[in-house]
Amino acid sequence: MPYWYYDKKDLQNTPSFRDAITTETENRYRKEGARFIIDTGSKMDLGYNTVATGVVYFHRFYMFHSFRTFPRYITACCCLFLAGKVEETPKKCKDIIKVAKSLLTEQKFASFGEDPKEEVMTLERILLQTIKFDLQVEHPYGYLLKYAKCLKGDKAKLQKMVQMAWTFVNDSLCTTLCLQWEPEVIAVALMFLAGKLSKFEVLDWNGRNPKHNAWWDMFVEDITMELLEDICHQVLDLYSPQPQSSGGDSPPAPSPAKQPKNEKKPPSITPPTSASPVAVVVSKPILTPMKNGADIKVDPPKMEPIRYTYPAYPGMPAYPAVYTAPPPSIPPPPRLPLTGPPPPSLVYAEPPPAPPPRFPPVNVPPPNYFPPLPGRGPPPPGPPPRPYYPPP
Amino acid sequence: MSGASTSTSPPMASISDVNTLFQNAKKYEELNVIGTGAYGTVYKARDLHNGGNIVAMKKVKVALTEDGIPLSTLREIALLRQLEAYRHPNIVRLLDVCHGGQSLERDQQLVLFLVFEHVDQDLESFLKRSQSPLSHGVIRNMSYDILSGIDFLHSHRIVHRDLKPHNLLVTCSGRVKLADFGLAKTYDTDMKLTSVVVTLWYRPPEVLLGTSYNTAVDVWSAACVLAQLHTRKPLLPGASDSDQLHCIFRLIGRPSRSEWPDNVSIMLDSFPEYQPQDLAEVLPRIHFQALELIKGMLVFDPAKRLTALDCLEHPYFTDEPLM
Ligand SMILES: Nc1ncnc2c1ncn2[C@@H]1O[C@H](COP(=O)(O)OP(=O)(O)O)[C@@H](O)[C@H]1O
Ligand SMILES: [Mg+2]
Repeated sequence: MPYWYYDKKDLQNTPSFRDAITTETENRYRKEGARFIIDTGSKMDLGYNTVATGVVYFHRFYMFHSFRTFPRYITACCCLFLAGKVEETPKKCKDIIKVAKSLLTEQKFASFGEDPKEEVMTLERILLQTIKFDLQVEHPYGYLLKYAKCLKGDKAKLQKMVQMAWTFVNDSLCTTLCLQWEPEVIAVALMFLAGKLSKFEVLDWNGRNPKHNAWWDMFVEDITMELLEDICHQVLDLYSPQPQSSGGDSPPAPSPAKQPKNEKKPPSITPPTSASPVAVVVSKPILTPMKNGADIKVDPPKMEPIRYTYPAYPGMPAYPAVYTAPPPSIPPPPRLPLTGPPPPSLVYAEPPPAPPPRFPPVNVPPPNYFPPLPGRGPPPPGPPPRPYYPPP
Repeated sequence: MSGASTSTSPPMASISDVNTLFQNAKKYEELNVIGTGAYGTVYKARDLHNGGNIVAMKKVKVALTEDGIPLSTLREIALLRQLEAYRHPNIVRLLDVCHGGQSLERDQQLVLFLVFEHVDQDLESFLKRSQSPLSHGVIRNMSYDILSGIDFLHSHRIVHRDLKPHNLLVTCSGRVKLADFGLAKTYDTDMKLTSVVVTLWYRPPEVLLGTSYNTAVDVWSAACVLAQLHTRKPLLPGASDSDQLHCIFRLIGRPSRSEWPDNVSIMLDSFPEYQPQDLAEVLPRIHFQALELIKGMLVFDPAKRLTALDCLEHPYFTDEPLM
């Protein structure tokens, strides 16, 4: 079974990096691709699960291919197209392309080629092969809601915290966190961050056990403060002003002759591209597609748009308070108390075992096609298996 | 594994160029055909990336739609992949999924390869090869394996729909694993190989009558297989759809008028008033608890049939510890 988590070294030494694209530029491409999937998905009324699945495909894809070989926006379209089918919220390929065209500059849309639909169809098969048909992806959202149910404290504050954490999860899609940590861990970290920023301190929780120091010990083992802070930083970095970006709008073409001409746009300081946790607006009720086919109707919280001013969190860069961003485009989380997913069906109540340790062939692409990954010694051990404790 | 050199950047490739390269990307070497079923061919193959490990590779043709690979196929593969995370001991391991690239897609077809662990033999050939009756212990363990696998599928809302000795694999240590499930919708496309006859012997009455059906179908089929473990002969070898129903009613008796579903075209009166046979005569020397279990599974009304979980909790398995 494929194993999809990488350490920081792997994330540095990507196909794009070996293809002379700097890490900084690659991260920008990843962010733009993810952002584009979120925008396209939202415009097409796709749910957050579908959007997030598409983004995870996108990040995984570029662990095997260079941004130079596969332009990011068409890959992004293809990821959303595939995610739509897998999550049973299918959209016609030509409709996705139509929306994509409306969101992109003419120059960026040019990367879709003569026959965009045919290109996306072909790319679908490359994408499937690359992600090894490992189509079902889990996201932090569900865990977020599950964990929130166990926390005690002021309901309104808790809801505000969950709301903020939800937005952080949305934004985390623009980082490579989904390539580093399981959704459970990301959910814990971003709830921790939201708790800090919204001043919601979790003092008690259901199912508390004297062995546990923090509420998350109940769900995930061995989470250190260091790890939490690292994850929070990666998300908060999205909101800090970008350094002058070095790469162009499109991947550097191999020969200067191919360089697009109208690249005059000054490398702007990209504000946090994503729905930042600044303002939260209510949208219509959403249907959360559950993996198991059951549809659960959840009510969005009835909240006035709120403006948060983020207090500086010790040890983290101050959040740029003046920044205003568009309201989140992904539906906000449901109002608490939450309707959880249906109870797991009978016998196999236990979650699947933690992923097996990386086994070598998984990351090795077929010969003659993907360049071999140089210098990959014996596979480093993956994170230790973490038993998950069922909620009380 | 000498691929493209990494020091030089690969040329800017158009997507279609890159795709053709997939044909050369050989990960598996086909050795010989092990099985041809109604919808695909299974090859024994060597996993070239994994020390030449022997695997079973199932080739399935998928009809492409206007919007690429059908949603149902993607859903089914996603589910198979997800199930794999549980590594259930009675489910054949799915090691990899890949596709055959462009070459065979001339007429809007995609060739999918599902790569499974290679298991010694299927139950059909295991039973053919065994010279003497299986011991009670062996039968009980195999029965438990089969029912555990079924219960696992059912707990994930999968109905096998085609349980039979051909689709049950027997490892060298005598454990049974379920194979050939989860692709029902993928198969439902027009890809059926017409020359292959589908066996009816394990079909429950509700399928033969065309009424709606659910997980209970697998329990019926399992009962037929369990009985076969005792006799090494099929329990209900019908020659046609209607003959299969006659076989069934000769064994369990013709259902009463109140049991007969009203939404079927076949009349109850088209069958003679068969009286139930004594199953103990059909399955001589059977352990009495095994007999009770099979009786509880061979019930006409799917709602009154034992569930797979009921079966696992039956005294046949719980009275003495399993080996
Ligand atoms: N993993 C495997 N190891 C060994 N033999 C297998 C394996 N999978 C299938 N076979 C053999 O191939 C035959 C056909 O495979 P199956 O998956 O049942 O395909 P079909 O849908 O065509 O019936 C089986 O009856 C069995 O004999
Ligand atoms: Mg078969």
